[in-house]
Amino acid sequence: MEKLKIGIIGAGRMGITHMSILGPNPNIKITAISEPSKLIGSLFEKYFSGLTVYSDYNEMIQKEELDGLLLCTPPNLHKSIGLQAIEKGINLFVEKPFTTSYKDAIELAERAECKRLVGQVGYVNRFNDMFLKAKELLKNGIVGEVIRFKTEMFSSTICKPDDGEGWRGKIESGGGCLFEMGSHAIDLVNYLIGIPDKISGSLLNKVYSKNVEDIVSSSFYYNNGIVGTLFVNWCDPTYRKPSNKIEIFGSEGKMLVSQHELKIFLKSLRSDYKLSKGWNTIYITDIFNNVPFYVRGNEFTSQLFHFVDNIIDRSKTNICTFADGANTQRVIEEIRADAKINMGSN
Amino acid sequence: MEKIDKVVFGDNQFFGINHMSQDKAQQLAEKFHDLKSIIDVYEYAFESGINSIMLNSNDRANEITDYFRSNKTKYPDIHWYPSLPYPHKYANLVAEKGIIPAVNEVLFAGNTAGGFLSMITKGSAALLGKDIIKVMQMLIDIEMKAFAGLNLKVIFLQNIISDLLLGLNAKVFFIEFAEYIKKKYNVLPGFLTMNLPLLLEKFKEWELEEVVICSSINKIGYLMSPGIAEYERATSSYDRAKYQIMAMSIMASGAIKADDATGYIKKLNIDSVVFGASSRKNILETSKMLNEIL
Repeated sequence: MEKLKIGIIGAGRMGITHMSILGPNPNIKITAISEPSKLIGSLFEKYFSGLTVYSDYNEMIQKEELDGLLLCTPPNLHKSIGLQAIEKGINLFVEKPFTTSYKDAIELAERAECKRLVGQVGYVNRFNDMFLKAKELLKNGIVGEVIRFKTEMFSSTICKPDDGEGWRGKIESGGGCLFEMGSHAIDLVNYLIGIPDKISGSLLNKVYSKNVEDIVSSSFYYNNGIVGTLFVNWCDPTYRKPSNKIEIFGSEGKMLVSQHELKIFLKSLRSDYKLSKGWNTIYITDIFNNVPFYVRGNEFTSQLFHFVDNIIDRSKTNICTFADGANTQRVIEEIRADAKINMGSN
Repeated sequence: MEKIDKVVFGDNQFFGINHMSQDKAQQLAEKFHDLKSIIDVYEYAFESGINSIMLNSNDRANEITDYFRSNKTKYPDIHWYPSLPYPHKYANLVAEKGIIPAVNEVLFAGNTAGGFLSMITKGSAALLGKDIIKVMQMLIDIEMKAFAGLNLKVIFLQNIISDLLLGLNAKVFFIEFAEYIKKKYNVLPGFLTMNLPLLLEKFKEWELEEVVICSSINKIGYLMSPGIAEYERATSSYDRAKYQIMAMSIMASGAIKADDATGYIKKLNIDSVVFGASSRKNILETSKMLNEIL
């Protein structure tokens, strides 16, 4: 098989990480990157042969014959670059948050669908072995009917006053805690529980950032009666790495899940899943699947190899589609609108 | 190549790092909030006969090394195995500011590297970019300040960085790191990795020799990419005159019991093990078992 040609736009932290993860994949070759920083571009030119470096992504999309593109720019550029790539028939992996508006997300999803391209969004929790296990258990009714959930996400991304100069410091470019971290927590809810029908009680507050929120909270309501709450804080120094947690209370038990462990309390024995009555704990060391190459965690490798595999074999099911990305975008927008009503212009 | 110590005492337990459970990590972080509780645990390690410490250059490293520097007469023979850098410091800075401003901040914040650096202004970052090797050397020196005056044995590059560079096939950075560590610090260069088979294959191809490779090695294959079979093949056939292998995570964050863990290591051609624990009983037992098999 001829190697797939992959390009990367945006050689920041995620762009470089993805480049490394895919580097040893025998089915692909990274042929081009586009990066506006002359400094970073020149380093790639100097140290990496077989790679064409562009400072202008328009030029890269037009000149290169790519099978897949990893879009790792600030989120406000995803729509225009994405549409260009789709028109050229290039399969797309887009970092999260998918876009900066629901409308843009829908447009990208529809265009990619129309062209029958693979479109994947970088919600990496969907590839974490523990959340996959939780999904499987929930699907099989382990905790019975879901009644109530509570999801939390913490990170120590911004732990001192931020001048708001970078793209993460501006809502317009896709920055702020809701876009950056909240999107992961919301996508996890969409994935494990479903897309909420109504949002209420949303609050956004600032701690260190000048222009964007640092803490997000909200309540989700579902037409089937499920109720849940969300809390996201990206300036908590007690967390070394971004951590997602979700607690799900159901008619037959309760489940607490994070990236590394899953605790389940059951009212009765489920021998089909080797789960006893009362408390059960599953650790990541019990269920992990090794990946061919490890850089930042198994899920980061799994999600990119999934993208490549989907390009090679179109009959595979895409775990994180553009439609999934659009659903998260809708919830983000609703939280922001709801918070505005609750808090006025503060 | 100078032989590394067979049993080295690690540091994950002190910094709230547990690959298996956030709750356990939190408990550890609470337990080791003060220096005294950390030193108590080191005392158990010394009692068990260990005299080697691996320590990451995180924000608490200084506190620990300061203690040992000021009590050098009490601990004259400790061998130090620093690992650089503390990746989350850089990850957060990069997330906040972008790659170049982040490097700039580390290099120039208070001119911590001193000396010639005071000659260079922030505006010359572009110049530095042209000589990334020099930047790397300056970053190493900044990270190594915490270990000044200590008896060093190996200086390791953290796995997040070495695996990132491995995926990029960035030969020159591995070569330059190794050369700089040998030349400037006169000790063995080391690389932490979660991809030992590929790293070893690349080192052979690049003829990068006389280095230490430290990797997760345990009987359940946890954090061993691409898999346990490849690890067993790689560790059965490497040239022990050119490479020394140190195993870490032999108990996979507590998933494997110490006797099982050491039983597995015994079957492989491994020179050394780094482990961490926090109770006296676990430290004494594990240390004894490792001394018997290595």
